[in-house]
Amino acid sequence: MAEEQYAHPGVCLFTVLFKFTALAFYILCSIFVQSFVIQFVVTVFLIALDFWTVKNVSGRILVGLRWWNEVDEQGQSVWHFESLDQQTLETLNKKDSWLFWWTLYLTPVVWVALGIVAIIKFNFDYLLVVSIALVLSAANIVGFTKCRKDAKKQIQQFATSSLASSMGSRIQSAFLSSV
Amino acid sequence: MNQNTSSQSDIDEIESLFHISVQPATLEVPQSVPPARKPSSPPTIPVSSPLLPPSSVSSSSQAFSTPAPPGPTLSSGFGGGPQYNTLTEPVWDTLKRDLMRVATNLKDVVLPNPYREDPGKALRDWDLWGPFFFIIFLALTLSYSATENKSKVFAVVFATLSAGAIVLTLNVQLLGGSIIFFQSLSVLGYCLFPLDVSALVCQANSTKLFRSLVVSVALAWSSWAAYPFVSTAVPSSRKALAVYPVLLLYITVGFLVLAND
Repeated sequence: MAEEQYAHPGVCLFTVLFKFTALAFYILCSIFVQSFVIQFVVTVFLIALDFWTVKNVSGRILVGLRWWNEVDEQGQSVWHFESLDQQTLETLNKKDSWLFWWTLYLTPVVWVALGIVAIIKFNFDYLLVVSIALVLSAANIVGFTKCRKDAKKQIQQFATSSLASSMGSRIQSAFLSSV
Repeated sequence: MNQNTSSQSDIDEIESLFHISVQPATLEVPQSVPPARKPSSPPTIPVSSPLLPPSSVSSSSQAFSTPAPPGPTLSSGFGGGPQYNTLTEPVWDTLKRDLMRVATNLKDVVLPNPYREDPGKALRDWDLWGPFFFIIFLALTLSYSATENKSKVFAVVFATLSAGAIVLTLNVQLLGGSIIFFQSLSVLGYCLFPLDVSALVCQANSTKLFRSLVVSVALAWSSWAAYPFVSTAVPSSRKALAVYPVLLLYITVGFLVLAND
């Protein structure tokens, strides 16, 4: 049987590209650019791009999940989670979702290692960059993990409620037809 | 009979869900009358309601979908949250939506706006991209025009502004304020826009008088923009405690702009 291919190679590429470029630039930046300002801005810009891509594009297309925060009319903060239904979730490409979840969890680990290196070298300026990267990665991890749990919960709820309503309507129609 | 047909269609719809089909079938929202089943067609519209009506995406094509009327439970009020078909929209739509949000938020904060007094409504659709760009822009501008220690200037400005915004937000919350953490961060960031403009304008001319004028105008504008959000968020006896640090932060930034040459 042929090996499953990536269903969305472009999106997978971008998911990995920004993360990898941010890390590579951070590590190698002193070779290319001398000024800390430019290093900082470029790295943080790449990290921000990666955050936006993962949250808005990769999450949607690779695993069918979406999360965001809103303030409702009473001024309370509401977290929204959105996901595709059970049927479509099963037709999602396994390789895509594997790539997505692995890169999501692996990247902060690498940044933590780089942060430890920065502390050892007493480069506190660079620690700023690392902390930004960690905050954004953590936000994405928390958001998507909650979203996945919410999706599973909703699928269960939908299944039980639709089962109940179908039972109810069957009984109703049986009753009515017998009348 | 009407009831029979609707219950029959319910059963059909639910049975179809339990059949795992090779090609995802397209089902329409329960609000429309008959559920249509088309083997391969453009994806339809999910509506986020407690029942989670079915939606599907054909795995081969990237999305294109028509916007649906928002669900009654979470209809967008002032400011407008995202529509609920966001799962299948093309990437450009997402990008455009976020950019529009930044522009709208900026307009709401910086220009006169009747809803500014109400913290629940003001900047409901908060986002942090605007503040991010403004802080980076200000730090870059100040760093660029500094003759020495450019990276130090950049790091100091960036750290001051971000730490300052976080601390001020915590201040508002600890005073018993009713504003959401991110909403307040967002407001403080957007109110930086006049100072950004002043920093840019100060590049043109470095006479002390001109700079003082420009910076004081920008400062007044920033403070005017930030005041209603912060003051209405806290109990009235503590207004001054909340507003004073905000003004102090902006005055500090103003001095940084003024002193830079």
